[in-house]
Amino acid sequence: MAFLSHNDQNEIKRLFEQLSGDVRLIHFTQRESPLFLPGQECETCKDTRLLLEEIVGLSDKIHLEAHDFVAENEIAREHAIDRIPALVMTADGVKGKVRYFGMPSGYEFSVLLGSLVDASLGKSALSEETVKVLQGLDKDLHIQVFVTPT
Amino acid sequence: MAIENPRIVADVVEVNEFPHLAQRYAIRGVPKTVINETVEFVGSIPESQFVEHLQRASSPSTS
Repeated sequence: MAFLSHNDQNEIKRLFEQLSGDVRLIHFTQRESPLFLPGQECETCKDTRLLLEEIVGLSDKIHLEAHDFVAENEIAREHAIDRIPALVMTADGVKGKVRYFGMPSGYEFSVLLGSLVDASLGKSALSEETVKVLQGLDKDLHIQVFVTPT
Repeated sequence: MAIENPRIVADVVEVNEFPHLAQRYAIRGVPKTVINETVEFVGSIPESQFVEHLQRASSPSTS
């Protein structure tokens, strides 16, 4: 069953009309296995992958690369991914790193769509003053925003 | 913000899926933001205040 209704798809397609640059979604997930390994199950990996595939299907500027977290651990390490499901959003215009951990559903789904647009356009929706301050910060900064699906 | 500065890594974490992080960062309300393990706040705040927190986290006295 599709996550996005026909109406959702049309609305997102309209939103994606403004995309300019290509966006890569590097997704870390778990290969589906008939074996159940206690403590290693990823309950939302499959749904996250399906949702991302639906999003990618709505624009030829968005590209999905799915990696197995265990089998391709070198790529995961490269992006400092230590848990799944995880998503790294990259584009020519993205200078830092934007990552999502967990399934982006509810309000976070619209946040993800907004980030996709910003990444493609290579500019944030922030004020000029904020951008100036951000560009002057010369220390590594790790911002973690903890959310729940609402 | 990560779009604008190569030294910024911005994570959105769905905390229900990672309960060990909820415990580690004492998440009692969302959204909760933690910057470099040193600065934290709960709730949505104006952009200008968010920038102030980032400046605080990046000041030499905060490591």
